Amino acid sequence: MLHVVKYIIVLFLLIVIQTQIVRLVSLHGITPDLLIIWIVYIGLKEGQIKATLWGFGIGLATDLVTGNFIGLTALTKTASGFVAGYFYNENKVQLTLSSYRFILIVLIVSLVHNTLYFIIFTRGSEIGLFQAVFTVGLAATLYTAMISLLPMVAFSRKYRR
Amino acid sequence: MHRLLNILAQFKEYGVVTLLIIISLVLLSNNDNKQIRAIRSYTVGFIGVVQDVLSVIPNVIELKRENAVLRQLAVNLSDEVNRLRDARLENLRLRATLGLKEQSRFKLVAADVIGKSLHLLRNTMTVNVGERDGIEIDMPIISESGLVGKVIATSPKYAVGQLMLNKDFRASAKVQRSRVDGIIVWDGGDYVKLKNVAKTLETKEGDVVVTSEYSSVFPRDIKIGIITQITEKPGSLFKEITIKPSVDFAALEQVFIILAVQDSERIALEKKVLATY
Repeated sequence: MLHVVKYIIVLFLLIVIQTQIVRLVSLHGITPDLLIIWIVYIGLKEGQIKATLWGFGIGLATDLVTGNFIGLTALTKTASGFVAGYFYNENKVQLTLSSYRFILIVLIVSLVHNTLYFIIFTRGSEIGLFQAVFTVGLAATLYTAMISLLPMVAFSRKYRR
Repeated sequence: MHRLLNILAQFKEYGVVTLLIIISLVLLSNNDNKQIRAIRSYTVGFIGVVQDVLSVIPNVIELKRENAVLRQLAVNLSDEVNRLRDARLENLRLRATLGLKEQSRFKLVAADVIGKSLHLLRNTMTVNVGERDGIEIDMPIISESGLVGKVIATSPKYAVGQLMLNKDFRASAKVQRSRVDGIIVWDGGDYVKLKNVAKTLETKEGDVVVTSEYSSVFPRDIKIGIITQITEKPGSLFKEITIKPSVDFAALEQVFIILAVQDSERIALEKKVLATY
């Protein structure tokens, strides 16, 4: 129960950072998705079902905070949690979190997330799906994966002790 | 049941993700922006394609229901066709009778046949007009096709007519072409006879026979029928002439009664002269 409260607090902090602060480090409008890194962490730590449920909750909370396109982030983050949960291994949690595998999983989950996001987001607009995925989507994926290096290093130090 | 629960437990991750995706899609569908409008459009198109593909699979229940509806429709249409056919025939008959009424030189009263007999020795018919309409005994009855008979009994609202196909019926007649006279009688069957025509007088099959001016009941030149057979029996002075009536008595539904009474002066004179001989 305590860790649920902890997760909720982290979630609100991350939403605030994602919506208010991360844009300060944007590169040509591309920003990393901290919530994806958080979902991957939950997936590797808690398993697929919890990651899926948390993904939905995180996405819905983001939709409600931003107030536009309700349900879109809930859908994409649900899928992200589900995919992240595939890499769950009860016996290798620390190893996965503290190794390059964590970055790779963030990369995969972020790619799935952004692809799904743009499949819906580009409907009815003049922006092409492939153009959106291969420019904005791929760049955001790489940026997110790069940022995930920070928690990976932190986990690496934490678990080495 | 236990096994089913085991299977469900085995795939619970998929169940959870499916449920959450459905919730997300429901939330998404509540938006009203260009993306959702486009997705709605794709969805409608996709459903249309799926329905089109699935429509080749016959739905037995739906086919049964459709069959019942079509049967009912067929019965209704058949009934309507019958009514329209009746209306058309009635229309044709009424047009013909109207034409007769307009062209007739007589004052006519239209009547519906409400009863008739055709298989007795003394065939009659009942019509729905009577004394209140000016109908009197011995008034001629005609149709658009020709002579039908004459009135033999009346009541205030009804009248009974003696058909040409009646043993007691007599009418003076003549062959229209050769002006040969005779008497129309009925011996049974569907045809009538033209009697008292001498073998020496000219008649031939196909000649039209009409009422004669000698008749004290029927006006002249009302069509009776067409000669279909002429027989000359040895030892007889007269021909036996068979006439097919121009009126189809079996199909008779509307008639006219000619408001013409007998010339009482003429009848009285003829009776007086006959009495002296």
